[in-house]
Amino acid sequence: MKNYDLITPEGTKDLLFGECIVRRNIESSLMGLFRSRGYSETITPGLEFYDVFNLNSRYFPQENLYKLTDSKGRLLVMRPDNTMPIARIVATRLRDADLPLKLCYAQAVYTTEPSLKGRSDEVVQTGIELIGSQLKMADLEVISTAVDSLSSFGMEFSLELGHIGIFKELVGKLEASDKDKEAIRKLIENKNFPALNDLLDSFGGSPVITALKKLPALFGGEEVFEKAEELMPDENIKHILDELREVYADASELCGGDGSITVDLGLVNKTDYYTGLIIKGYLQGHGEEVLSGGRYDRLISEFGYDVPAIGFAVNINAVAKLMEKSDVLPAEPKADVIVYAEEGCEVAALKAARELREQGLIVENALFDDLESVREYAMEKKIAKVVVIDGESKEVNI
Amino acid sequence: MNKPIRMALTKGRLEKDTVGLLEKLGFDCTAVREKGRKLILPVPDANLEVVLAKANDVITYVEHGVCDMGVVGKDTIMEMKGKFYELVDLGFGKCKFALATKKGYDFYSGYGIKTIATKYPNVARSFFEKKGMDTEIIKIEGSVELAPLLELADGIVDIVETGTTLKENGLEVIEDVAPISARLIANTVSLKMRHAEIDRLITLIEENL
Repeated sequence: MKNYDLITPEGTKDLLFGECIVRRNIESSLMGLFRSRGYSETITPGLEFYDVFNLNSRYFPQENLYKLTDSKGRLLVMRPDNTMPIARIVATRLRDADLPLKLCYAQAVYTTEPSLKGRSDEVVQTGIELIGSQLKMADLEVISTAVDSLSSFGMEFSLELGHIGIFKELVGKLEASDKDKEAIRKLIENKNFPALNDLLDSFGGSPVITALKKLPALFGGEEVFEKAEELMPDENIKHILDELREVYADASELCGGDGSITVDLGLVNKTDYYTGLIIKGYLQGHGEEVLSGGRYDRLISEFGYDVPAIGFAVNINAVAKLMEKSDVLPAEPKADVIVYAEEGCEVAALKAARELREQGLIVENALFDDLESVREYAMEKKIAKVVVIDGESKEVNI
Repeated sequence: MNKPIRMALTKGRLEKDTVGLLEKLGFDCTAVREKGRKLILPVPDANLEVVLAKANDVITYVEHGVCDMGVVGKDTIMEMKGKFYELVDLGFGKCKFALATKKGYDFYSGYGIKTIATKYPNVARSFFEKKGMDTEIIKIEGSVELAPLLELADGIVDIVETGTTLKENGLEVIEDVAPISARLIANTVSLKMRHAEIDRLITLIEENL
């Protein structure tokens, strides 16, 4: 049998030293940002029952989940998403909690990705969930947290807004089979104009069809709303568009109108449990979105508690990769002092080192049995001071 | 000047057709025409950088965003799938996927599971899945026409241009699977972050097809 004891599974990797510092820095700066806005952390198990992710709406295709069984033979999965477990908590332990609830998290999700594509099966996400408010202010709170998150990375970014309601309303007016509706959704998602036009032509002509044809082209800035306005066939959809326009205008003003807020009415991803506003964040240099979220007013009701919610998650792996590309990896802090114990003085040396640490220094205990090796090690590691403990302590400066 | 937009072209005929199109738009493609062995070539007056790659790799580079746009056949898109925008049907590189068997063979008769040889297992699988038909699919790397002749397979799903190869080997098309042509694709983030530049290029291209 082949032995795999020296490698990690495809889609996973070990992080070393500077890579860990980058990763932890991003996580802690985002979690700090969330806390400073009043969000409280939750940690959910890495293992969950499959049923949590297998609700009626089936957001997660089973072929993309890591599955295992517990000791009673029940089906478990490695957590593929952070929002569903939080929805489960909200519907159970936090059911009687005062609303709105503001929760945040920093933990990995696991999905099986196609092999040999350079994708990760284990992705760390940090994100927020704001539960129990349908106010415009809730949307703006989440958007402004997303903007602060993206701008904290110090790179050129863009935050894109969309609204799944526009597509849902339009396609709902179309007399088409579910299969055709799904095909239309997919073509809009891929901005596949030629095939979308062909497919919609087979339904004849109507304002709804014209609007659906144009939907994937409706992305950019303020001008999108002008174009969309004329295309929307009824008041209901116009109302959704107006709401989005207001949120867009406020978000743009918040960012000083620098064009970093954009809109795309063709954001219609399948696995989304989103019911309204959709947000996506991009950083220059990464080929996929690094931030993704939206409003999911009906998800928690699938766990038996009808309460609206909105949130987003940041893909920390992607941000870390970009930072490692653009900067030199940060060095680990080097020790200030190394303490060497002559034979018989080990305890005294350990105590001396402890005292030095209490003064705020970084102190290593020497793990050699002669002073010469300690000196060489200190030179190599650029440790400025060697303290020798031999009954009466003496310091040696390098 | 912004950093150039990177466009991956499928080496070979699609590359030549695309360069022809770019020249029709008035861009100077001398560097691409006289490329030698270079794989990344500038089209300075369009602020483009052309990258020459194999068809599957065009999709990989565009998906990862290391190339902003790409020109690739619908055949490769159908087989590879992936996350990118498929913006324009360029209209050249036209051919089709078809199901072919030995001449006179009644493919849909009997209840036995049919064996299909193909270079495009995903295309073949989804074609028969839509028909609700279980098939055994065998991947062949070279001349797929050999498989039915050697009686490894009942039929093949392959790209057909003129049908000459099929005919000379006693095979015939019994059903079209899908039409194929070259497509202009774009990375999902590039299209948003460099909207104005890409939009200008696409409008120019669409006007000149």
